[in-house]
Amino acid sequence: MARHDEGVVTVGRSRAGTIAANATGIIFGIFMIFPVYWVLNTAFKPDSEVRSFTPSFLPKNPTLDNFRSALGEELFIPSMINGLIITAMAVAAALVVGFLAALAIARFSFYGRKAIILVVLAVQLVPFLALLIPLFLMLQRAQLTNTLPGVALVYLVLLLPYTVWTLRGFISGIPRELDEAAMIDGCTRAQVFWKIILPLTGPGLVATSVYGFIQAWNEFIIINTLNSPQKQNLMAWLLYNQTERGTAWGPLMAGAIITSIPVVVFFLIIQRNIATGLTAGAVKG
Amino acid sequence: MRHGKYPFIIGFLAVPVVLYATFVVAAYIQTFQLAFTSWSGLGPIKYIGFDNFERLWNDDLFWRSIGHNLYLLILLPIITIAIALVFAFLLNAGGGMHKGVRGSKFYRVIFFFPQLMALAIVAVIFGRVFSTDESGMLNGLFPESWSPWLFLADERWALTCILAVMVWQAVGFYVVLFSAGMGSIEQEVYEAAALDGANRITLFFKITIPLLWSTLQVAWVYLGIAAFDAFALVNIMSVDRGGPDGATSVLSMMIYRNAFEYSQAGYASALGVALFFLTLTFAALTLRVTRREAH
Repeated sequence: MARHDEGVVTVGRSRAGTIAANATGIIFGIFMIFPVYWVLNTAFKPDSEVRSFTPSFLPKNPTLDNFRSALGEELFIPSMINGLIITAMAVAAALVVGFLAALAIARFSFYGRKAIILVVLAVQLVPFLALLIPLFLMLQRAQLTNTLPGVALVYLVLLLPYTVWTLRGFISGIPRELDEAAMIDGCTRAQVFWKIILPLTGPGLVATSVYGFIQAWNEFIIINTLNSPQKQNLMAWLLYNQTERGTAWGPLMAGAIITSIPVVVFFLIIQRNIATGLTAGAVKG
Repeated sequence: MRHGKYPFIIGFLAVPVVLYATFVVAAYIQTFQLAFTSWSGLGPIKYIGFDNFERLWNDDLFWRSIGHNLYLLILLPIITIAIALVFAFLLNAGGGMHKGVRGSKFYRVIFFFPQLMALAIVAVIFGRVFSTDESGMLNGLFPESWSPWLFLADERWALTCILAVMVWQAVGFYVVLFSAGMGSIEQEVYEAAALDGANRITLFFKITIPLLWSTLQVAWVYLGIAAFDAFALVNIMSVDRGGPDGATSVLSMMIYRNAFEYSQAGYASALGVALFFLTLTFAALTLRVTRREAH
């Protein structure tokens, strides 16, 4: 957006206020970034420096040993693959199921529509821990505990409310006149959904899949309860590993960095649209 | 246009409805059912009437956990929204009438970083920040003559430490969210107010906040949900998981420990029922408030 402020309005522009604003920004920025920086700092330090009581702000002898030892752990790579499989299954299923449900809610009026919207919202509020016992029992009966699809199924249920809600917002934003025009031109209803609404919902699908990816990738409580140590994802492995070995900070931080890479990459891809994407569904009533 | 509507609706909604019916509704029914049993998690199930609820009523830790849940539920949104609003305003208008402070795009990325880090990793790092000996980041910064602060090991401050971490993690997202909202406020509105002699603070309270009101409500709901979900941080950061001496215990922590560590699935379910009603109350209050605003 081009802004023209050639000396027309000068209000609220005291020099002191501007300096104060900048200073606050910098201090706050440091405060936000410091722990992140500390993770990086620790990950590249050799063990002797990590243990040292006098903290140093840069590794004196930077090393990749911590990354090597994290990657060399027996279950690191299998846990990463497990996590990728579970996340992919859950996100793909959530997109398909969520898109169709959002279509139904956004484009049709029918008996019980309000009730469904309310339930979708309410489920977002339910703390899943209260349901962990019955979920465990159900999956056990279906012989899905200690499997990857079992966990993916639970994640799907977790991701659905947000997916439906956000996509509903996007679909509502597409003018109905487009549907009608296409139908006058001879499209069937299914074709309208497939050829008009689906492509126009693209940004919404990207936003919800990113959100879903982050949620599923970072989850560790449910998977830790349902699965044996061999079938954990990376996050659960990382925490489990931490409690097992006490304070091997270097490899732990290196593991944390590796675990965060997919999320950071995703973020960088959609960084520009993150605020609009994540909140479009929420703000549109 | 009318014909053939229901096949679509039924086809589109069948899967989610079945999923919800099984994994949420049926699961909750089972939680309610188990709440009336003395089930350990294995073996035969025996119904014991309201015994679990009576025990819960007399359980000191339960009431303290509820208190902690409420503490987080009230303070997390207030503090986070306040900080995020101020910084979003600084980024958008702090550097003078029209501009944000220098480098505001850069800040936006930085502020988003904590959001990218998994809660679990955040918890591990802050465990290090709050370490009680000199190896802790904060205690390491203090002069050596000070006796080390206990942070998470101190009953009085442990929960506040956890709250601080929650705020730290959440605030960046809301800075970005509010910035987006502020960006969509017409510049002319500010200019008109400025011509009438409004200063920065007046602009903030009289224009920015009212025009952002719907975004603020969304933020409130999301933060409320996050506050209910303090389990991950408490689980990893707190001393003795919920300690010291129950000082950071929250309802979900109690549920988890009873269900999967103390073999008290029945009692855990009763706690789950309590959590259900607590959430419901929050949801009802929120709906009520937002509906009133709509008029």
